[in-house]
Amino acid sequence: MSDTITLSVDGRPVTVKAGSTILDACAACGVKIPTLCHLREVCSNASCGVCAVEVEGARGLVRSCVQQAREGMKVASASARVLESRRTVVELLLASHPEDCLSCLRQGSCELSQVAEQVGVRKRAYPPVRAPRKLDAISAAIVRDNDKCILCGRCIEVCREVQGVSAIDYAGRSQGSRVAVFGDRSLADSVCVSCGQCTVVCPTGALTERDETDEVLALLRDPDKVVIVETAPAIRASLGEALGMDPGALVTGKMAAALRRLGFARVFDTQFAADLTIMEEGSELLARIAGKAKGKLPMLTSCSPGWISFIETFYPELLPHVSSCKSPQQMFGAIAKSWWAEKEGIDPEKLVVVSIMPCTAKKAEAKRPEMNDAWRWWKAKGRESEPFQDVDYALSTRELARMVRRVGLDFARLPEEAFDDPLGASTGAATIFAASGGVMEAAVRTAYELVTGEPLPGIELKAVRGFEGVRSATLALAGKELTVGVAHTLKNARVVLDGIAAGTSPYTFVEIMTCPGGCVGGGGQPVLPDWEKRTLRAQAIYHEDRKLPLRKSHQNPAVATLYRDFLGQPLGHLSHELLHTEYKRKEVR
Amino acid sequence: MDTRASVFDIEAAAERLRGKPGALLGLLEEIQDADPARYLSEENLKRAATALAVPPSQVWSVATFYGFFNLQPQGRHTITVCRGTACHTRGSLGLLKDAATLLGCEGYDPDSEGAFTTADREYTIRTVACFGQCALAPVIMIDAEIFSRMTPGRLVAVLSGAKKRGAKKAAHVPRRRYEGEAAPSVEGAGR
Repeated sequence: MSDTITLSVDGRPVTVKAGSTILDACAACGVKIPTLCHLREVCSNASCGVCAVEVEGARGLVRSCVQQAREGMKVASASARVLESRRTVVELLLASHPEDCLSCLRQGSCELSQVAEQVGVRKRAYPPVRAPRKLDAISAAIVRDNDKCILCGRCIEVCREVQGVSAIDYAGRSQGSRVAVFGDRSLADSVCVSCGQCTVVCPTGALTERDETDEVLALLRDPDKVVIVETAPAIRASLGEALGMDPGALVTGKMAAALRRLGFARVFDTQFAADLTIMEEGSELLARIAGKAKGKLPMLTSCSPGWISFIETFYPELLPHVSSCKSPQQMFGAIAKSWWAEKEGIDPEKLVVVSIMPCTAKKAEAKRPEMNDAWRWWKAKGRESEPFQDVDYALSTRELARMVRRVGLDFARLPEEAFDDPLGASTGAATIFAASGGVMEAAVRTAYELVTGEPLPGIELKAVRGFEGVRSATLALAGKELTVGVAHTLKNARVVLDGIAAGTSPYTFVEIMTCPGGCVGGGGQPVLPDWEKRTLRAQAIYHEDRKLPLRKSHQNPAVATLYRDFLGQPLGHLSHELLHTEYKRKEVR
Repeated sequence: MDTRASVFDIEAAAERLRGKPGALLGLLEEIQDADPARYLSEENLKRAATALAVPPSQVWSVATFYGFFNLQPQGRHTITVCRGTACHTRGSLGLLKDAATLLGCEGYDPDSEGAFTTADREYTIRTVACFGQCALAPVIMIDAEIFSRMTPGRLVAVLSGAKKRGAKKAAHVPRRRYEGEAAPSVEGAGR
């Protein structure tokens, strides 16, 4: 059998790989068929019918997203019948869709609106038939507006097939069909881990992050507050994309400039805390290997809050394997509101910490009740006040882009500026936290040197890079063979956890990231990602690492100062108070 | 309240059904049949999900899709009015409204697909798309008994009769029968 087939699209021959869909074949000859439910790598349930084309000899119209192209097939991609059918399909979808596009969070990035334009919808053709649905705005991270849902099923697929969480499924039938969690409850009362992958695949405004830009802008204009910002490693490789630049545009300096112009009193970097995380987590790993710390091997990383929710919900018996280190976001908040606030003479109650994250789960993490260790630290020093959180607001990449647009900054023309000291200092090891495998590579760069006293031969640990679901590397460390693993997406996390539960896990240390590709593919990142965009974002991250003068966390001078002046040493008493945490079984009612 | 449901061993039933096609549907049906209020409580749905290792969201999906599954406690007696085309043309909407009024189901929306249960949990009134007894339209079913060529006058008689009987015996309501099982008597057939 030949590897290629030749068919005709609108009378012109096109040769494609055998097994291609008609949609792919059309794309190969420059015809862009509109789609809604179809999303490469995620969903192809052929539920919407927008992609229908005419195939000679076929009885009805054919859904091009699932139908394979065949040798000699004659496809009409834009016949009168096709154009009419497409428009009718979208008009029917719009019948029960609210007409509040002007105030929708997805204005400008709504696929339904783009497809409606493409197929020529010019009027509300049918009256609404669906009863209004209740808005689910209880979750700290995700808002669900089922009125805007077109039942394409992408969110269900990504939640089940990519993440292995299955918080949502179709419920009911006919006009009562809806995407629901068990018991038609709120996402907040479900097994949802707030990863936000549903919000990046939703074609409409039915699933969005909880937008907190108004609150943060108001605080930025409050003269009584000192509002500082920390930006996660991944943002520098995606904010440009969110603001209309090419995917993978590296905008570290412009981002700092934009944040300063938005009014943040200090522009700091979560990467500072990522370097700090490596110091703590690396020390914890070595202590566990030496049998001097509680906690089991293999040790599992704790940077990714969706993953933490996942193990707390689905595998609570394996929690002793998770590093006790807080995530960099939370380490930053705890240090900023304790050490830095005291050093600067700032009233910690007036200090507002805003984080910019590629993530929606970070919103939920910031609101975890135990994440107020700076307040406890001040209380222990005799300062009484109402409790305050270490991090006040966690904004997604998309929300920062929205704020930049709101204040009218011409982002592409901003100058390159630097982060502020001291919490803006970082190394390339922290930058690569953004890509799956990066935390592991950063940890190895430091741990190897701390244990052997020699630099890691060849600083880049290429074996743990890439997008394979589970990857591993074996390295010799002080005469011992050490096997480390890297997994991204929660479905792959299950593979690692099932191995640990079965006693067959070969690993000493495993990095687990919630989202596909790690934070570059996070649930707070620009919508509608694919592997090409994630790859470009990751390439930008590794490019940034290569050009930085310092590429190992223990070389970060500000982190050294923090230990010298305040923390003492990794895993010391203050570290335990401010930088480490505990996890507990999450019960879903 | 759910004394009998707690007696029914969901886990054992799941063990028996596991791996068979339609295991989840079968399990839900058994749970509902064993429940004195003939419904699937959220607690039992969760137990079914755990027992079959199916995500709870999927169990909810199945339970909400099929009209056969009740998600609310059912009345001791169920009055099912056929809303198929033949029955409709012969006045089933009026019968439905009359039955709702007679049984005290104020607030019942005859256009809704859902069921309505009286506050005292004596009666549930519901509709069905078709009984397949179109020649005998309009048709209603009280518990497992089908009444055909129903008129408003006969409805009053049948329902007050059922009310009287209901007061005397707290009967176990037999489950709905299927093709191939002993057929329920079809009153008036062949007349």
